[in-house]
Amino acid sequence: MGIVVTGIGVVSSLGANTEAFRRALLAGDCPCRPHPFRRIDGSVVTAPAYIAQPADAAGLIEPKKLRRMFRLARMSAVAARQALQQAGLDPAGMDPARLGVVFGTSMGALEVTQKFVDSWLEQGAQHASPLQFMNSVHGILASQVALDVNATGVNLTTAQRDICFEAALDTACSLLEQRRADVILVGGADELTDLLHEFGSRLHQFTLDLAQRGIDPGTSRSAVIPGDGAAVAILERDDSPRAPMARVERTAIGRHDVGDDVVSLAMNAASAIDLITTALDGSRRAANVYKRARYAVPSVSHLGSFGQYPCAGAQQFVANVLMLNHREGYAPLANGSPGPAQMAPKCILHDARSVSGNHAAYVLSRA
Amino acid sequence: MAAQAPPVAITGLGVIGATGRGVSTMDAALQQGREGVGPLTLWQSPLDFPVGQYRGPRLEDHLPALNLPPTSRSDMLALVAAQEALQQAGLAPPALSMARAGAYLGQSVCGTLTSEAVYIGAKESAAAGDTGKRSYAGLLVHEGANTLDLMARIFGLPGPTLNFLTACSSAANAIGLAAEVIRSGRSEVMLAGGADSLSNIVFNGFCSLKVVSPDGPRPFDRQRQGMMVGEGAGVLVLESTAHAKARGAKVLALLTGYGHSCDAHHLTAPHPQGRGAMEAMAGALQQAGLTATDIGYINAHGTATRDNDDVEARAIAQVFGDRTPVSSTKRFFGHTLAAAGGVEAVVSVRALQLGQLPQNLGTRDPEPGLDLVLQPRSAPVNHVLSNSFGFGGNNAALIFSRSE
Repeated sequence: MGIVVTGIGVVSSLGANTEAFRRALLAGDCPCRPHPFRRIDGSVVTAPAYIAQPADAAGLIEPKKLRRMFRLARMSAVAARQALQQAGLDPAGMDPARLGVVFGTSMGALEVTQKFVDSWLEQGAQHASPLQFMNSVHGILASQVALDVNATGVNLTTAQRDICFEAALDTACSLLEQRRADVILVGGADELTDLLHEFGSRLHQFTLDLAQRGIDPGTSRSAVIPGDGAAVAILERDDSPRAPMARVERTAIGRHDVGDDVVSLAMNAASAIDLITTALDGSRRAANVYKRARYAVPSVSHLGSFGQYPCAGAQQFVANVLMLNHREGYAPLANGSPGPAQMAPKCILHDARSVSGNHAAYVLSRA
Repeated sequence: MAAQAPPVAITGLGVIGATGRGVSTMDAALQQGREGVGPLTLWQSPLDFPVGQYRGPRLEDHLPALNLPPTSRSDMLALVAAQEALQQAGLAPPALSMARAGAYLGQSVCGTLTSEAVYIGAKESAAAGDTGKRSYAGLLVHEGANTLDLMARIFGLPGPTLNFLTACSSAANAIGLAAEVIRSGRSEVMLAGGADSLSNIVFNGFCSLKVVSPDGPRPFDRQRQGMMVGEGAGVLVLESTAHAKARGAKVLALLTGYGHSCDAHHLTAPHPQGRGAMEAMAGALQQAGLTATDIGYINAHGTATRDNDDVEARAIAQVFGDRTPVSSTKRFFGHTLAAAGGVEAVVSVRALQLGQLPQNLGTRDPEPGLDLVLQPRSAPVNHVLSNSFGFGGNNAALIFSRSE
């Protein structure tokens, strides 16, 4: 039994839908821009960032539903609807119990959570906002998407630092193999808020250096340029009647510091891998965790195109599906400039190594 | 729904919460009807509601050999429970590495008790015009992944480590999905369960929803006034039956069924007919290859809120009728949120092992339609079902079965 991708959707700094995302990748666009971040003390700090474009829900989600969604849920729901549309799937015509949602998110609805905390700090605990509390619950993301598309099947939100999406993918493939669902919306989303940026920069994880015009994956700086966004893929077993865009050959997950070599597990996949994508983000920490990697085929990180954030792997997944489906390659960006054009891959291994010691890999091939 | 699947062995149990630390302490509390209702002492709050707080010795004192870095209360609760479970299973780092062991944990609060203090401190400093240097290190323990990273490092887990955040069904989902990792052959051993500590955010949040009782929870009582926020951790050692047999481990019980569904109805309110709850219970029965009459005891989610208990009672009656003994143990622990499915999995396994059904503590005027266990009841049972339902309409049910 195999797993295939039959639809994709994305809300990214590169573009608010799949076609705009693809055009930007082909053109070598860099959406990294100076962005103002308001700090707790009211001051404003301008720093480079990859901020997702506003999610365009026109024709996808009713305005009434959209108004109830916070930004992270809106990005996720729009990307989910795009993916369903591309797959030619109408949730209204499906058995809702066979439609599942598995989403990775590291921080969840941080902006709403901050508003909730502010509500009781400023007005007293007796006046905390119940609506904001409801929406602040970490796992509410997958539920919001399920509510929108009426998916009553499996519904999970997963978190594991920088491999949130890859972990969600691994879980979703497993659930399909167990036949707990027929169609799963697998996604990853995180938002870069003022608060997250303040804390990230105070902990010296996010750069304030405006001279940096984008991530250069080949460098080893002390801090990264952060981003945000949401990306979703439709996964089904390969007996689906819908045309597949790519095939998920293998997923693997574990600890790269103590145990099995996750990449070698993934590389036991049937097809010959001709491109490896990584999560190199130009930081010293990432350079250290990848330094043991020895690849026999070309490798590339596209984080220069859409920024670093815990679920950036979801955007890389969409980029990988696009490369395979359209038989084209995307040049990696270094400090805002395109590098050499990539060949059109037939089979891609994604090697995601997190600084915390978590490691995930998957192999995608042409359908 | 999932197809019938082979059982997975349970070889270790660990628990901590308002009943104290350890399974034997919990057994005594359940037998003696020692409730976990008490005042909140972790911080000063203007909201006068009781909580299910852990009140034993300092958590660090239970973990002297682990040489912990600065960590959160939630991390420590999880580590205490995991340590107990591994000790009972007789598993230590070399064996765990050989077994490609991993950990699936349900968490929702994670390190929030620590990170919210950093935020509140920064807000107060800003308001006071204090521009002095502040420490932001507390933010580093915010994520639930911190617990998993600690577990992986301390216990030597090379396999998958993952958080499931499905609100109050998190731990039940983590346990059900960890069993699937074992069935798939990717790991022979998994630590699985959940952990959550109290925090301002969850306490104020549930109070804001007006669902917290002023005198503690009275599940399935006609006069019930709401839930009690709690904290704790419950962790199981799951193991393939072949691995457990090969190393001569004592199998405490079997995990035989896991069902899961989403209401897709409302962010906090359950589906009024209990549609999702029934689907989860039916899914668990199907995977276990059992029928409703095989279940000898149901550990209900039973939060003691008006709507949740109504819907759960209706769903249980629909699937099982009114003859299967049911109890909620929320007055012993409080509602431990993402940990609830883990804590209650330990309760369920002990019910199987001891042939003692825990009482539905606190209920004086029971709702009709269920066989509520109002006093501890001796009743040898072969299969126990445990329900966990969460915000977002997220429903999970687990079935545990006797090992012999």
